Amino acid sequence: MKHKAHRFFASMLVAAFFASTPGMAAEIPNIPTPTEGWNTVWHEVLIDLWVIGILFGSLGAYFLVKYRAKDPDAVGSGKKLDFRQALAWCLIPCALFLADDFMLAAKGWTLWNTQRTIPAGSMEIKVTASQWNFTYEYPNGVEISSTDRDTDKNLFGTEIMDGDLVIPVGKPIVMRMISSDVIHSFGLTDYRLKEDIMPGRVTYIWFMARKPNISQVVCVEFCGTNHSGMYNRVVAVSKANYDTWLAKKKQEATLRRRTYAANIIKR
Amino acid sequence: MTVATDGIPEDTGSSHGGFKLKEWIFTTDHKRIGIMYLIGSIAALLVAGLMAMGIRIEQTYVGESGLIQYFVGDFAGNMTTGDAYNAALYFHGAAMILAFLIPGLTGFAANYLVPLMIGAPDVAFPRINALSLWLFWMGILVALLSFIIPDAPDIMWTGYPPYSITTSTNTAFYVFTVHLLGFASILGAVNFLVTIIYMRAPGMGWNQMNMFVWTTFAAFIIQLIFVPVLAAAVTLLLLDKYAGTNFYNPDAGGDVLLYQNLFWFYSHPAVYVIFLPAMGIMYEVIATMAKNRIFNYKVAVWGGIIGILVITGEVWVHHLYIAGMPNWIRIGQMITTLMISVPVGLMVISWWGTLYKGSITYSTAMKYASANMFLVLVGGLTGIPLAMTSMTVHLSETSFIHAHFHFIMALFATFSMFAAVYHWFPKMTGRSAEGKLADAAFYVTFLGTQLTFWPLFIIGIEGMPRRYWNYEMFPQFEPYHMVATIGSFIIAFGAALMILNWIKAAINGPKVGANPWKSRSLEWTHTDIIAGPGNFPKPVTVSEDWTPYDYANADGTPNTSN
Amino acid sequence: MSAESGTVHEHHWEVSWAPLLIAIGVMLLVPLTFAAFFVYEAQLYGIIFAGLGTPLIVAGIVKWIREGVTEPAVISGVSDVGIGIFIISEILIFLSLFAGYWMMRISSGAAGELWPPAGTPEINKILPLIMTVILVASSITYHKGEEEYHEGNIGSFKKWVFITILLGLTFFGCTMYEYNHLIHAGFNPGTNAYSTAFYSLTGFHASHVLIGIISFLFLLMFGTVNKMFVKVAGIYWHFVDIVWFFVATQIYYW
Ligand code: HEA
Ligand code: HEA
Ligand code: CUA
Ligand SMILES: [Cu+2]
Repeated sequence: MKHKAHRFFASMLVAAFFASTPGMAAEIPNIPTPTEGWNTVWHEVLIDLWVIGILFGSLGAYFLVKYRAKDPDAVGSGKKLDFRQALAWCLIPCALFLADDFMLAAKGWTLWNTQRTIPAGSMEIKVTASQWNFTYEYPNGVEISSTDRDTDKNLFGTEIMDGDLVIPVGKPIVMRMISSDVIHSFGLTDYRLKEDIMPGRVTYIWFMARKPNISQVVCVEFCGTNHSGMYNRVVAVSKANYDTWLAKKKQEATLRRRTYAANIIKR
Repeated sequence: MTVATDGIPEDTGSSHGGFKLKEWIFTTDHKRIGIMYLIGSIAALLVAGLMAMGIRIEQTYVGESGLIQYFVGDFAGNMTTGDAYNAALYFHGAAMILAFLIPGLTGFAANYLVPLMIGAPDVAFPRINALSLWLFWMGILVALLSFIIPDAPDIMWTGYPPYSITTSTNTAFYVFTVHLLGFASILGAVNFLVTIIYMRAPGMGWNQMNMFVWTTFAAFIIQLIFVPVLAAAVTLLLLDKYAGTNFYNPDAGGDVLLYQNLFWFYSHPAVYVIFLPAMGIMYEVIATMAKNRIFNYKVAVWGGIIGILVITGEVWVHHLYIAGMPNWIRIGQMITTLMISVPVGLMVISWWGTLYKGSITYSTAMKYASANMFLVLVGGLTGIPLAMTSMTVHLSETSFIHAHFHFIMALFATFSMFAAVYHWFPKMTGRSAEGKLADAAFYVTFLGTQLTFWPLFIIGIEGMPRRYWNYEMFPQFEPYHMVATIGSFIIAFGAALMILNWIKAAINGPKVGANPWKSRSLEWTHTDIIAGPGNFPKPVTVSEDWTPYDYANADGTPNTSN
Repeated sequence: MSAESGTVHEHHWEVSWAPLLIAIGVMLLVPLTFAAFFVYEAQLYGIIFAGLGTPLIVAGIVKWIREGVTEPAVISGVSDVGIGIFIISEILIFLSLFAGYWMMRISSGAAGELWPPAGTPEINKILPLIMTVILVASSITYHKGEEEYHEGNIGSFKKWVFITILLGLTFFGCTMYEYNHLIHAGFNPGTNAYSTAFYSLTGFHASHVLIGIISFLFLLMFGTVNKMFVKVAGIYWHFVDIVWFFVATQIYYW
């Protein structure tokens, strides 16, 4: 286990190196992505919650200390509110809370629209989930399976390994997803996205990498014994590297098909 | 359990002195039924807590610990680590919610307190009450069978199909656990709604009831309306699995999301079945220990409690945000979910206001209540980002969810439960459970819970998935899991101290007088310290201006009249 | 509006062994028997569990009713409210089943599929009509019985209850006949979405008819019946009747 962890960190370093290579910014379309949107809104929500929390928390703590009994027989002296006070203590907080709620709802909904609107010029990858495997099918027919995951096997002298979901940087990617058995979920941790995959419905998710990097996709809907083993890496590489990789994969697949056919003929 | 006699005029009967097993097992008395509910739910807490320890041990490091199998009783090592973990987690979630908290709050607390608080001799249908108790116990037994049968359910407390249908494990026992506990709850609802409506002491108007009675009333309305939906959802699961029907089978015209909708249509309101009585207990403890009237009682009741009741049925979709619901229902339920902060906020204000200008003494229960002021904020406010559909697409199914609901449920509501036991301990046993041991248990548990659940927030935001026994793809989370595990051992130590303290105090704690907290509520002022059969030595009537919280006279002097 | 709640202060702890007995019986009869038959296919155990559970439940109920008749209630005159509240939860179970049915039906319509789906034989539309008449008649006969009861004519009350039971059984028999017929035509619960809804809704309703009939049998068995029991059984029976209108119109005539 420890051994694997080291490799993982090593590959992170490689990713960091790639990320710092300059000169690609020009190709990246300037559209809002779910990932950045999430981080921004999260930041704002967090501030909002901390403010409310600290306000109420410190007031509570103050009361707990301030109103300790001076003498064991003493009783509290809270006054009964008259009708106007009671109403005010209802309506004013209601209005404040509602205002906050609506603000959050509006922010959240704007981001939601970004998350669900697929930008033009995107690339579609088909995902089939099954216990306990993701299979990806690229537009040109190349297939990748997460069970081939093998971080010891370095493909074509790049940072890409077997079983990785490889995507080009700067291209919006749409995953069209179905399940062949139970419910799974496509969790793109670092892209701040996830969506369930289930039998009987087609679901989708879109995301885009701005820089080359390595992250994980995990199955996050409980699907049985090996639920936690259902994951693989998402590797975002430059357009050039992606094209090379895809071509090689295609070639490999053709080769495999040929040998397969040849074997059948021999028999 | 003998009768204490401090300051009590006379023993009210011959047959209720001394312990008679028959009078406990066959009892139809609400107080004894309440105590047996308490025993059952604490038993569920201990076993489910033990499972939690197993879960924590397994998650401490990446990779297998090889220990989780022992927790689910698989000493021969027939199960894989994944299966054993799933069985343990199933039991933990299902038992904690269905067998510990709901029965603890609506079984123990409601049973013990409601008739006493409204001045009634018992509930309306005592035999149905006993039936409800025993069905609950049978439900616990069915759940415990998981540890004996070869194919323990592993479908999580949510039991989503198709997995729960295609798995080879015993889904039927999950369904029957839900049926038994659910039916027990519906019977309880019938009983308590009738009791509260018809059996209040003459003179007691709706706005003179204890807050706890109000919250129980609301909680049982929720149970009555929503439990049947859950029962139907799991029954369809049973039919699909064993009778071949197609409700959840998309290949034959069914739909997997039907289950999720039905399930959460109940299980969201269920969290308020937990939250409301927990809040009710908080009000009782705080008002009693601060010797103050409830701040803005009517708004807390009609805006807070009834407000939650009104909104709670229209928010279930927030559990299906990542399951692909259409936009029109999503935006509606996102707003209603966010709006729950309004009634809860009103209740929080009224809670804080009850302390304002109070005169607070710190009993053990009050210490739990003070901690809860902070826990309800952490747990409740973290629900807010979850309510926003665009935020949940990342946070859902991560340990951020765990942290959210452990804070509000495993800490806030559970602490309320413990506070209730401490606060009414003298009522139940005639003895006090206060003291150094009680304090130590409280501080240790509190420390442990903070260590356990804060790390889950952090790794949750970074994406630690739920229901993962192994997280080899995220080795960077290991230190956080480590802290959480240490925390859980501290909780278990604290819990052990607490149970020890209860047992010790019940046997030879110091005896107390009839009204140790100087409360104004009927269960303290009008009964013997241990209420006998029929509860009240003389029938109770209350006057028009009586409330359970009138600690001070108009001139600010203590109110001592009865 | 507090009714005169039991002002009597009894000086002993109330006990009854009926609830515990029933609960144990239910545990044996439902989860264990089911698991034995369907999960583990251990018929023998299934028969043993059912054989133990059923008498326990019956004994419990008999004892319960005896006590209900002889012992004073904590508060009298609220059982009808109790059953009313209970019926709310029953309505919600039916609603959930209907929700499942509607959802399947509407989504199949949206997908442009046929309804009823392939594999559904011709379903007799006359029989449910007759069944409706029978059930309505039984509600009326029971009502007649109740009137007699209030006039004090216990004998004639029992006669009407007996007729009600016969009507109920006829209704139940019709359901069984229909099921038998349809299953022979290859229409079983797993055939398609419609059969799933059909059997679960009519079956769930039929189980309610059965419970009603059993409670009437208990009414006949006991010499002294109390007023509340008569009323509660009646409310329940009318409820079963009304639900049938929904089941029939939704399942057969939509
Ligand atoms: C007692 C139990 C309990 C309670 C009370 C709550 C309370 C809330 N919960 Fe929680 N929840 C659970 C138990 C509970 N929850 C459980 C068990 C799950 C997971 C189930 C599973 O998947 O297994 C869950 C999951 C869950 C989800 C689904 C996440 C997912 O799976 O993707 C969501 C989403 O909306 C949510 C939201 C909320 C909200 C908005 C509240 C609100 O009621 C909170 C309201 C309180 C406050 C807001 C704080 C006090 C208010 C103020 C100080 C006023 C001012 C505040 C504002 C204006 C914001 N919860
Ligand atoms: C009331 C509810 C409640 C409570 C109190 C708890 C209490 C605890 N929970 Fe639980 N938890 C849930 C409700 C609750 N939980 C739910 C609903 C889930 C989701 C399940 C799902 O995903 O389906 C969950 C899931 C869950 C997970 C997620 C696992 C995963 O998804 O992979 C974890 C992990 O850390 C965890 C930990 C704990 C811990 C450490 C405690 C501790 O507080 C427990 C402390 C221990 C004790 C209180 C027991 C004390 C033991 C002794 C004293 C020893 C003596 C024992 C005997 C004599 C028998 N819980
Ligand atoms: Cu696939 Cu979890
Ligand atoms: Cu919810």
